[in-house]
Amino acid sequence: METAVKRHAAEVDVSPVAGNPAAVARPLLETRGISKRYGGTQALADLSLTVSPGHVQALVGANGAGKTTLIKILAGLERPDAGEIVLDGQEVQFHRPLDATKHGLSFLHQELHLVPSFTATQNMGLGYQHGGRFGVLDRRAIRRRAHEVMQRLDPQLDLTAPVATLTVSQRWMVSLGRSLMRTARLIAMDEPTAAFTEQECERLFEIIRGLTAEGVAVLYISHRLDEVLEISDDVAVLRGSRLIGRWSRGTIDRRALTNEIVGREVDEVIHQPAAARRRQQPVLEIENLQRLPRVCDVTLDLGAGEILGLAGLVGAGRTELARLLFGADRPTGGKMTLRGRPYAPRSPFDAIRRGIALVPEERRSEGLLLAKSIAFNVSLATMEQSRGRFALLSPGRLGAAAHEVIDRLGVQAASVGQPVGELSGGNQQKLVIGKYMRTAPSVLILDEPTVGVDVGARAEIYKIIRGLAASGTAVLVISSEFEELEICDRVAVMRAGRIAAYVTAPHVTKEHLTSLCYEAGKESDGPT
Amino acid sequence: MTADVITEPGRRTRAPFDGWGFVGKYGALLVLAALIIAMTVLHFHTFATKSNAINVLSQSALTAIIAMGLTFPLVAGDFDLSIGYTGSCSGVIACTLMVSDGFSIATAFAVAVAFGAAVGAINGLIVTKIGVNPLVATLGVGTVVVGINYAIAGGTPVALTNPLPFLHLTLGKLLGVPYPVYVMFGLALVLWLLLNRTVTGQSMQAVGGNPVAARLSGLHVDRVRVTAFVIAGACAAIAGVLLASTSGQAASDGADGYLLTAFAACFFGTAVLSNGQFHIVGTLVGVLTVGIGFNAIALIGLATYYQFLFQGALLIVGVGVGTFARRRAQA
Repeated sequence: METAVKRHAAEVDVSPVAGNPAAVARPLLETRGISKRYGGTQALADLSLTVSPGHVQALVGANGAGKTTLIKILAGLERPDAGEIVLDGQEVQFHRPLDATKHGLSFLHQELHLVPSFTATQNMGLGYQHGGRFGVLDRRAIRRRAHEVMQRLDPQLDLTAPVATLTVSQRWMVSLGRSLMRTARLIAMDEPTAAFTEQECERLFEIIRGLTAEGVAVLYISHRLDEVLEISDDVAVLRGSRLIGRWSRGTIDRRALTNEIVGREVDEVIHQPAAARRRQQPVLEIENLQRLPRVCDVTLDLGAGEILGLAGLVGAGRTELARLLFGADRPTGGKMTLRGRPYAPRSPFDAIRRGIALVPEERRSEGLLLAKSIAFNVSLATMEQSRGRFALLSPGRLGAAAHEVIDRLGVQAASVGQPVGELSGGNQQKLVIGKYMRTAPSVLILDEPTVGVDVGARAEIYKIIRGLAASGTAVLVISSEFEELEICDRVAVMRAGRIAAYVTAPHVTKEHLTSLCYEAGKESDGPT
Repeated sequence: MTADVITEPGRRTRAPFDGWGFVGKYGALLVLAALIIAMTVLHFHTFATKSNAINVLSQSALTAIIAMGLTFPLVAGDFDLSIGYTGSCSGVIACTLMVSDGFSIATAFAVAVAFGAAVGAINGLIVTKIGVNPLVATLGVGTVVVGINYAIAGGTPVALTNPLPFLHLTLGKLLGVPYPVYVMFGLALVLWLLLNRTVTGQSMQAVGGNPVAARLSGLHVDRVRVTAFVIAGACAAIAGVLLASTSGQAASDGADGYLLTAFAACFFGTAVLSNGQFHIVGTLVGVLTVGIGFNAIALIGLATYYQFLFQGALLIVGVGVGTFARRRAQA
């Protein structure tokens, strides 16, 4: 089996197999009825898609529509629950990333997997099966091939420079170069232009056209619809884990495409007027805050008792902004004012002491110690409050604090001594929220508070958020699931490191927010 | 809100008897118990006596002190390779102060411990502020400490002219038990409280378990790591001075050998009553297991090389079985 795969890959040629007339029109890659569930969430449902050699197939859809899941399945990082992957008319099974690579499929993920201290050439040589005898790398062959490849991508790029010294777009080119070291038949690019300038985009498109002219298929995933319409031969729209439709070049315009992504006619969908809370004195004011490349220029204010949402596409800079407010990173420009006094936190400790708390995005890796008990985790930010005699921590007080959080937030747990790793995602998230609530913040930031949380717990978390706001806490909710931003009084839409628009309570709908996220700057009608 | 919405079925497997989980938690203690029972049965008259028990404790005391100190950097997720050298140098410093400068035992002891703590602080600052890998940083600092040691004493043992009061520090007994055994248990209590009942100790556990979550919880990650190194250095100095006191003179490499034994004891301790985490009681049990093993080898009359075979095998089997069992228990 192993050797069969290898031989197959070695003999692969871009040209169709001779003597088979059907092969000319045969797609390179085909997915048939692929489905994937994560716990209670359907990530992909019955997805069938074909990619032809020499074509640019674009894949668009809102956050959570299933694009990333599809890419992971094609790359061999995840196994589908149902359906098959067909390559050259034959069903293939990808058990691990190497299987996809052997078939000439390469993937440029949003996070580039480069070794920062290695030179561009060394990075491109990783995984390049051109080792000399006895497994010694044939460095000359690698250098020659890397030079050859980079000649067509970016001749100016210094191949001897450590990747850490290159710009983001140059690093991306190195990644692409690595794919091209071997015979590439399909290259999937996930949000390639996120950090590109306009000229760099043009350059990329030239390269893509050159590749497709040679018969390479390109799977192009992007939120930037103008670019998608320019470069792709065919656009596939995913919505709610399903393939909604496909349009070949010239049969759809930007507005219609946006409507397809959003799912409804985009206009002012107005709910029954909610009782919009009267905005009070701002607690936190942010002026021209900057930390490149993700946070360019953010001006924002947040009132006591207000729930402010922060919408945006992946990479718009929302998490990075939250980290600046929480002192986890330092801004390079701009200023912040907290309750009328200058605010420049040097660390999360500073922020917590001044009354700002952040419930981080990755609760398992950033919020919790999974092997430790509930009591330990809940008091992590507020241990001083549980000191008893001789300034020693009192297990009784730690337990009482944990019980208080468990009762108040409705956590389901066997005991306060239970390791948090044993709890469900919803209960874990409640504990992280509880941990930061114990710091009595005047501003609480929640980054993706309900990711991986089941429906019941989700409703409870919303209730907690509303309760906090009712008691005067200013709450900032970052979410990529725009339905949940409907709990907000006001939503700021962040685009490319800036606040692009505000939406106030009755107008906060998923459709409206999604369309605002996609508006390109120059075409925007301005904030509503 | 009903319970079945929240708890995802299948996440918590509650088997009637969690065999691997039991081995992971109590396996190391079973090894110790088996060792004690076997020796009691086979060599009742020499092993199971009060004097032999005191003997084992007394021989384990210095290792325990240095190993419990080492537990702190390990808890915080760091390594300290300098403790053996710091111990040796502290002994040399204390003896030199008493011999050449006429310091009292107490003052010399205090200066030596301060030196150990300072070495720890330097280790910690290099690791946290400059960001040098702890293995490299502490190896480098440890080598510098060896240099200081030789600069002070020239590599020759520093002997006291009137060693009796100093010897009394370790040879003296209260209720038939040598002082170092009291120091060991007293220090164990203090360090246990420090690690489990203080903000600093709990912060150390958090930093070692998940540095990102610790920082985002507002903990002073760097400060906590430096503190752990300081405790390790101070404990190494205490052990170093007490070691010099056992013979009334400080050899330039006297405490160097404690490094490996201390590491072995700490790692063996991760398999004791905890899910692979370093802790004081575990380290103490680790030291005592090694001590009882050595004692048994001597009583049975086996050659010295069996000590090394035993210590190596104990470490691999103790930690290996614990790790394997925990992995099986989680699977």
